[in-house]
Amino acid sequence: MAAAARWRLVWGVALACAASLASFGLLFLSGWLLAGAAVAGLAGQVSARAFNIILPSTGVRFFAMVRILARYMERVVAHDGALRLTGQLRAWVYERLIPLAPAGLVELQGGDMLGRFVSDTDKVAAYYTDVALPFARAALCGVVFVGVFACFLPLAALVLALGLLGGALVPCLSGAAMDRLVRRGAEKQSQIQAELAETLQNLGEYLLLDAACSRAKGWQTQQSAVDHARWMLDALEGAARGLVTILTFVTALAVLVLAAHAHQMGQLSVAEIPMLVLGVLAAFEVVTPLPLARQAAAEARLASMRLQMACAPHGAAEVVQPHALPHAPYDLVMRDVSFAYPKTVSPVLQHASLSIRQGEHVGLVGPSGVGKSSLINLLFGFYAPCGGSITFGGVDVRLLRAEDMAAFVAVVAQDFHLFAGTLRDNLLLGAPSATDADVAEVLEVAQLTRFVQSLPKGLQTWVGNDGLRLSGGQARRVAVAQALLRRTPWLVLDEPTEGLDAPLEQALMAALTWWAAGTTIVCMTHRTAVLPFMHRVVRVEDARFCPEGRAT
Amino acid sequence: MVAASTRPRGTDMTRELVRIARGWLLGSVVAGGVSAVLLVCQFVLLAHVVDNVAFHAQAPHTQGRAFILILICLAGQVGARFASDMMGTRAGLRVASHVRGQLLAHLFAAGPVACADVAAGDIVTTFTEGAAALVPYFARYLPSAAMMVVLPLLILAVVAGVDGWSFLVLACTGPLVPVFMVFVGYGAQAIMDRRWRQLSLLGGSFLDALRGLKTLRLLGRAQGSLERITQLADAHRRTTLSVMKVAFLTSAALEFFSSLSIALVAVVFGTRLLAGTADFRSAFLVLLLAPEYFMPLRTFSASYHARQNAQAACRAWIRFWVLPTLARSYSGQPMQGVIGGVQCRALCVCRPDGMSVLHDVTCDFAANRLTVLTGASGAGKTTLLHALLGFIPVSVGTLEASNVSGHPIQLDGVRMAWVPQRPVMVFGTVADNLRLGAPDADEEQLRHAAAQADALGFIDALPNGFETHIGERGSRLSGGQVRRLALARALLRNPDVLVLDEPTAGLDAASALRVSNAICRCVPGRIVVVATHEQVMAARADVLLHVADGTVVVQPVRAESVA
Repeated sequence: MAAAARWRLVWGVALACAASLASFGLLFLSGWLLAGAAVAGLAGQVSARAFNIILPSTGVRFFAMVRILARYMERVVAHDGALRLTGQLRAWVYERLIPLAPAGLVELQGGDMLGRFVSDTDKVAAYYTDVALPFARAALCGVVFVGVFACFLPLAALVLALGLLGGALVPCLSGAAMDRLVRRGAEKQSQIQAELAETLQNLGEYLLLDAACSRAKGWQTQQSAVDHARWMLDALEGAARGLVTILTFVTALAVLVLAAHAHQMGQLSVAEIPMLVLGVLAAFEVVTPLPLARQAAAEARLASMRLQMACAPHGAAEVVQPHALPHAPYDLVMRDVSFAYPKTVSPVLQHASLSIRQGEHVGLVGPSGVGKSSLINLLFGFYAPCGGSITFGGVDVRLLRAEDMAAFVAVVAQDFHLFAGTLRDNLLLGAPSATDADVAEVLEVAQLTRFVQSLPKGLQTWVGNDGLRLSGGQARRVAVAQALLRRTPWLVLDEPTEGLDAPLEQALMAALTWWAAGTTIVCMTHRTAVLPFMHRVVRVEDARFCPEGRAT
Repeated sequence: MVAASTRPRGTDMTRELVRIARGWLLGSVVAGGVSAVLLVCQFVLLAHVVDNVAFHAQAPHTQGRAFILILICLAGQVGARFASDMMGTRAGLRVASHVRGQLLAHLFAAGPVACADVAAGDIVTTFTEGAAALVPYFARYLPSAAMMVVLPLLILAVVAGVDGWSFLVLACTGPLVPVFMVFVGYGAQAIMDRRWRQLSLLGGSFLDALRGLKTLRLLGRAQGSLERITQLADAHRRTTLSVMKVAFLTSAALEFFSSLSIALVAVVFGTRLLAGTADFRSAFLVLLLAPEYFMPLRTFSASYHARQNAQAACRAWIRFWVLPTLARSYSGQPMQGVIGGVQCRALCVCRPDGMSVLHDVTCDFAANRLTVLTGASGAGKTTLLHALLGFIPVSVGTLEASNVSGHPIQLDGVRMAWVPQRPVMVFGTVADNLRLGAPDADEEQLRHAAAQADALGFIDALPNGFETHIGERGSRLSGGQVRRLALARALLRNPDVLVLDEPTAGLDAASALRVSNAICRCVPGRIVVVATHEQVMAARADVLLHVADGTVVVQPVRAESVA
């Protein structure tokens, strides 16, 4: 794949050069054809008849065809290469993000921040078509143009070389300023984003304090700074473009003067004067896109910086080598554990101890936000505890990788995700080898049989992003079924009955505890109706686990 | 607020936005036109000079005046082009800034409950990136659409004056380009529509995998999905390319016609020059102008996706503009008289998604009394507070205020204050946080409010007193101190109604006692409503309201707290 992409990139540049050279040839030859024909026409009938117009007009048509074909093929091949690059970059980024999830992704989670992340990846991959290709084309074609000119008039070639070099230098010189402007704009922008998000979160308070509008005014000022940076960037690019245009015509006039002198000295025929002038205009076509390309480079550079920052290791728990595997009985023992999420003040757990034996059904209760869910994060090593020890199956969880832990513990997290795909794909995601009978069994337990039967396409129904919209309760039960299908010794359910009415809640819990009687179940909930199905209840209070004894 | 119902939708919106930046857009188009005229002049002069030098054996130094004129035209053309671009950018930025202002105003008018229903990230990205997507549309697309008419017509007119045949060639090929582009464009669109699901699925697959990365890790399938990412990216490439191959035909059509017309002009003119029926100057001029004839079309088609992005952005705005606005305003006129009470009569409140939360609530909140709301979480305490504060519209029933003599007064004029469970603490000093709601408060007022809220002691004990930095989100203060600071801030505005949500949750017994004492001290002269789970607070109540199953029951107050 990598080699295929590399060849496409090279081919893209080659075709781009071919298109530009054909374009140059078209104008160059047309200029000569017109002037030559005019000279011959003026010289009278004989010389007009002697003038071979067939050859140059065939040449003109040839260049025109080559230009059309080469440009089309360039687009296809270059975009193919760029898309291949995108694929590779995505895989690279994804591979680095896996060990960081979810701790390292918290800052990316908000709304469409992940979307920006994806567009950053695309922007970096577009570096090839938007930046590398125009610059490579300018360099390669420039050499050819100068070479062609040198065949006719070395001095004109020198002037053209200087002109092209100047045209290429303009965007390069303005590049540093562009980089700065892009970076400054992005920094201010993310600052505004952060403040806006914070204000929206506390909108009620800001409104009642009558402070919302003054904050909005503050952003407008900051935003105008961002706008100013944007404006400056456009101005810089526009000025660079204008400068290149001026350079084009100044070079053309200079070449005209040189050509006229050479003609007077007898070094150049009449027809070659307009040809060289047109040649200059055609040659500068490869330099004109460079200011825009330089601006794209500034943006791609920022995007790649952001990507690298996002892919850098964060505060996730690091697995100590060597790995170990838990062994039966799979008991969980937490001793004296303290934990706080990074960048927060209040600790979630403080010297908390808890032990859960294999086969127990334990309800974990407490108001929302007290950190019931942090148990999952600690167990899978997504976050490291500040103190204390956690062992699972006789092994310290720091020695366990999340991937190994997944073989023993099935989790229905509160923020579970249904992927774009069929219902069946999603169910089988954690247990690819499950049979249809297994699926039917867990659907029955999750009280989904009737719902699935009611769907026209059954298990082949499309869910996820732009698929069927499942209600919160339905989606959660799909996640429960998905977890059950994995038949792990442990089952951790975070609010499994949220969004269900009372009878359904009862039915689900009854079926679940009967079906998974031998399985350890940890059920985090704030719904009291769930608790009678548990062997014992533990309350999370004041950052500690307080046993409440047997549930009634 | 009235504007919400008359807010235009979809593509109409861009049309309305044009009006805002009309001056700049007009300037941009005019400057573009000037630049086009100067460009044509410049080519005419260049053709003139080349003809003179090559065919009339005039030495270049005799052409000094023409050279200077060319340079003047060049400078003018480049300058006008630059001015046109800059005015276009100004227009775009102005529209973006206007839309941002409108969005914020609307969100503030919609209130916190409606906004909480939309993901904050969505709003933030729409506010910044969505608005930014409008800029290229106004800065590039619209001016280039205008230039697409101006420059080709101008060139056509000049060519018509110079040579009939070339005029015919250009006049015939020119209109064919848009026709073919539309033709191919529709073809590409048809393929896109047919493969829409596949394209959007594959296009979104990376985002989908990133969103579900935690789920995949919990399933132990993250490494396996890496392979899938590669496969999907490859499938995405193939599908996208199949659409692109057709879409690129539009630019190929453009390329075809522009190359064809250059070749035609060259070949046709060549034979005529040979026959002596045309002069070189017009031939050279037409050859110079022919590529420029197609240039605006190329710029236009390059900025075409700016239009799509802008329309997508507009669709995103509309999602926020349909949020209903609240009837109450929070920076209104001062109240008429001293507050006596707020009465709820047969109140029903529904969540934004239509689910009923409170029904048939009838209760009084009286001044000089501490009203405490209790009830299980999710029973509707917070919703009742929101209704009282005006954050959520009342669907049935009435919510009215009266002064001490029992006469009804406008709820709009009643000053409300709210101390939520996690009060907002801005980055800055203690004084900055206190002055958030009262920017003009002097030191004396700050001390008074802090003393009332039992915050003066700890503030004075801080290293720099009121000028101490409290860190990110008040991280240098304890939970109890943050609550008392927020209470002081609320008192600084001297509210008629003071609403507190779980003021003692998560505090140790000593802090909880201090906070509840401070709250009790605020009761005289105003309505104080506290929602709580905790006995500490409930024991101090003058009126105890129990919220259960979406309705409110008045409960007897314990004897010891009355005493």
